[in-house]
Amino acid sequence: MATIVEITEPKALEVKDFEFTYAKADAPSIKKLSMPIARHNITALIGPSGCGKTTLLRSFNRIHDLYPGNKYEGEIIFKDRNILTPKEDLIKLRIQIGMIFQKPTAFPMSIFDNVAYGMRLQGIKNKTELQGRVEKALQDAAIWGEVKDRLKHDANGLSGGQQQRLCIARAIAVEPEVLLFDEPTSALDPISTGGIEELIVELRERVSIIIVTHNMQQAARVSDYTGFMYLGELVELGRTEEIFVTPRERLTEEYITGKFG
Amino acid sequence: MTHTQKRILINEIVMALSTLSAIIGIGFLLWILGVLVTNGLEALSTTIFTAEGAPPGNSDGGLKHALIGQLILVSYAALFGVPLGILAGTYLSEYGLKSKMAETIRDISDIMMSAPSIVIGAFVYAIVVAPMGHFSGWAGSIALAIIMIPIILRTTDDMLQLVPSTLREAAFALGAPKYKVIIQVVYRGAKAGILTGVLLGVARVAGETAPLLFTSFNDNFLNTNMNEPMASLTVTIYNYATSPYEDWQQLGWAAAFILSMFILTLNIIGRLFLLKRKGR
Repeated sequence: MATIVEITEPKALEVKDFEFTYAKADAPSIKKLSMPIARHNITALIGPSGCGKTTLLRSFNRIHDLYPGNKYEGEIIFKDRNILTPKEDLIKLRIQIGMIFQKPTAFPMSIFDNVAYGMRLQGIKNKTELQGRVEKALQDAAIWGEVKDRLKHDANGLSGGQQQRLCIARAIAVEPEVLLFDEPTSALDPISTGGIEELIVELRERVSIIIVTHNMQQAARVSDYTGFMYLGELVELGRTEEIFVTPRERLTEEYITGKFG
Repeated sequence: MTHTQKRILINEIVMALSTLSAIIGIGFLLWILGVLVTNGLEALSTTIFTAEGAPPGNSDGGLKHALIGQLILVSYAALFGVPLGILAGTYLSEYGLKSKMAETIRDISDIMMSAPSIVIGAFVYAIVVAPMGHFSGWAGSIALAIIMIPIILRTTDDMLQLVPSTLREAAFALGAPKYKVIIQVVYRGAKAGILTGVLLGVARVAGETAPLLFTSFNDNFLNTNMNEPMASLTVTIYNYATSPYEDWQQLGWAAAFILSMFILTLNIIGRLFLLKRKGR
């Protein structure tokens, strides 16, 4: 059984007895996993490669559904409902639960159109409203100053770090309640990484954040809660300072001290 | 001889042989182009573009009927072939993925791409010309479209698959429905590649003679009615070049020159798009 610390804040998400099996796989990649996600906090998921942390993250917005044959079991509770049911409206779900990927995913269009993309999907056509919200999102993502004079330029002309901040702007422009970060800085240089980390910490005021990272220092720097996963199971979830200073599970201690991983 | 000397010798022999082969290949190409340009330019005159076919011995014949016929035939072929090819390629890349059905379609279109075009001409003769009872522009365009579809289908499929799947996921993650992901993000990312496929497909069918011999046949005068036999540059080249009359042969050279320049231009534009894509 996993050691899970009591969470005092309200919960943004709650995972209950969750199992996930990839198409054509014999065994589930995630086994009977339960964990709460605190609202307006940053929860980091750490663990060695193949432990299932990205698989779990990609279940929160059901992006696994793009590939046929994947199977969910158990429950993920979001706003008093289980989002794993077949009748879940995935378009609405993904508006409420946004995602930032490992590699920047700027669309082949202008900087402005990239940020406006999600809002236009929701049918917002009013030019002044779009302009206002695009500017706000770019400011919140700390990239407005760098791009304000070239909003009409192709987004692929930006550097990797700028593209990643553009993707964050695009994601927060639709005002999601939860943001999922899948190793958002592993393709970036240290300076861009620092910028993205600062941004993630600031965003906590507005959204609940789950971040998957290979970088334990990053988890320690940015997160409030840390969950350690191993072989498809949650080993321990606790307040970040406790996980890194006084872990309760031996496996957690061995991992964070670099004995394996 | 030491090992090193032997290795250097073999290397030089292989390099000499492959360079020679390349020169021979390019030499023939330049020779063909050279003959085509000298004879073609000599045969060119303004009446070529303004006059229609004339009986032999009459020096004021032109190619207007064949030029316009060719344009109409290829345009209709593109009208059928381009949307079908792009949509089928979209199915393979975005919906069919690696399913059995999709793989079968890929295999069949690969086979169709190397099928002799005269076979496709004979096929359209059997299903269109024979039931209609006469040759027609429609039959010609259908034959050309059938040749065009597998080319456009495969390039579209390949080019769409080059778009990284994370880009699709990112659009889905913003709450986009699938058709919008395909139209707004995937097509945009593959724009240059798809356009190249279309241009190369059109260029390929523009040079076809065999399938038109059985389908649109020929006409010595201007005809824009797709229900009637229609002239084309390729069939005109075939007829004029094999005729015993000097002035017809001249017209044949002119037609060959114009057609080659048209196809060359399409190919160059297509390849420029591809270069632009790779350069990014």
